[in-house]
Amino acid sequence: MIKRPLRRRLRLLASCAPFSDKPPLDRRMRAAVSRARKSDHFVQQQEFDRAIGDLVQTIPTPPEISEWFANEHLATGVKRTWRTILLNPAVIAITLAVLVIAVVSAYKFYERLNTFPGAETAKKLLVVASATRMSQLDPMQVEAGALGDFFFMKHRLERYDVPPEFAAIKTIGVRVFDDEEGQRVAQIAASEKRLQFFFFPAQRDPKTGRPEEFAGWRFVEHEGWTGAVQQRNAVCFMACLRGGAKDLASYLPKSND
Amino acid sequence: MTGDEAKAADVFQDTVREAAFQSANNEPPGDRYWFFREARWRCLAASEQGMMPEPVDFERHELNSRAKEQIGSLTIEQLGIWISGAPEPQRTVLALFYLAEFSVRELTTITTLKVAEIARLLGTARMEFQSWLNATVPLHDE
Repeated sequence: MIKRPLRRRLRLLASCAPFSDKPPLDRRMRAAVSRARKSDHFVQQQEFDRAIGDLVQTIPTPPEISEWFANEHLATGVKRTWRTILLNPAVIAITLAVLVIAVVSAYKFYERLNTFPGAETAKKLLVVASATRMSQLDPMQVEAGALGDFFFMKHRLERYDVPPEFAAIKTIGVRVFDDEEGQRVAQIAASEKRLQFFFFPAQRDPKTGRPEEFAGWRFVEHEGWTGAVQQRNAVCFMACLRGGAKDLASYLPKSND
Repeated sequence: MTGDEAKAADVFQDTVREAAFQSANNEPPGDRYWFFREARWRCLAASEQGMMPEPVDFERHELNSRAKEQIGSLTIEQLGIWISGAPEPQRTVLALFYLAEFSVRELTTITTLKVAEIARLLGTARMEFQSWLNATVPLHDE
């Protein structure tokens, strides 16, 4: 089964074997010729081809055609310089395409470096934050740190505790709602700088079902809003406001600056 | 390829002129095969003008041990007529193969045919040529 195609291949190559005295440059052709030499048919084929080749070589070159070869550099053309190569439209197009691909790849890579599990949910909640009116929240004027018990007692939401960095901030309203994926989300409006806080369940690994963890505070920006997200005990906490990361930095430990 | 010296000379000059024109425009032919590819298409176009050979189904004879002798008594005009009368792409394969300038790989590059196809075309051409030789230059036993 393995030998058959090899034999056929060699037979095909032998059919096109060169008939000049020079050995063929191609290794496979040399092998084919070497094997085929043993057969009378191949020897006859070579004699036949050589006879025709000899006849072809006797074809005289007309003098008017010989004149064309007086100048050997007839079709050499102008030597291409680096400048002409670089200004070639094809080279420019390829360069531009490569640049665009490189920029997009770098952007994607940078985006991936800054992303974290739950970043997509955080971005969606920034949109919610920008669209929320105070009338949608239940008035609640307490220190944010005291709301952990409230969420547990009233909504059965465990470990929805405001981190110490924001625990002393006074709140003005609270609500709990289900997001698009049916997850329980808690939203808190603070009196300071129109700050808002969100609690949402941490993203889970689809294979293991375990929450995907990350350390420290991570920033997410969307439509002019910025959020600082922290994950603890399978719950994500996000503090957000309209503005940049610098506006939130004063609340966070200096290592996150 | 054309079976006509005047047409062949025109094709040659047109091909070289085209190469010179491209070189003058800073776009010289990329490789030497360009000349053969260009000349091939010009030959095919030229041979479609004027009288064309009728398609003939030749008999096929096994190669004769005295074929060399038969071929030796042919004229180059007879060989030219026979090759130029072959159908395409057999004609191109024969013309390029018997120039003894190209390896099989180069033939596949110029003709865009596969090795198997080139081998088949050459094999049938040899047997048909032998049949034609037997009819044109009959052998006489000494």
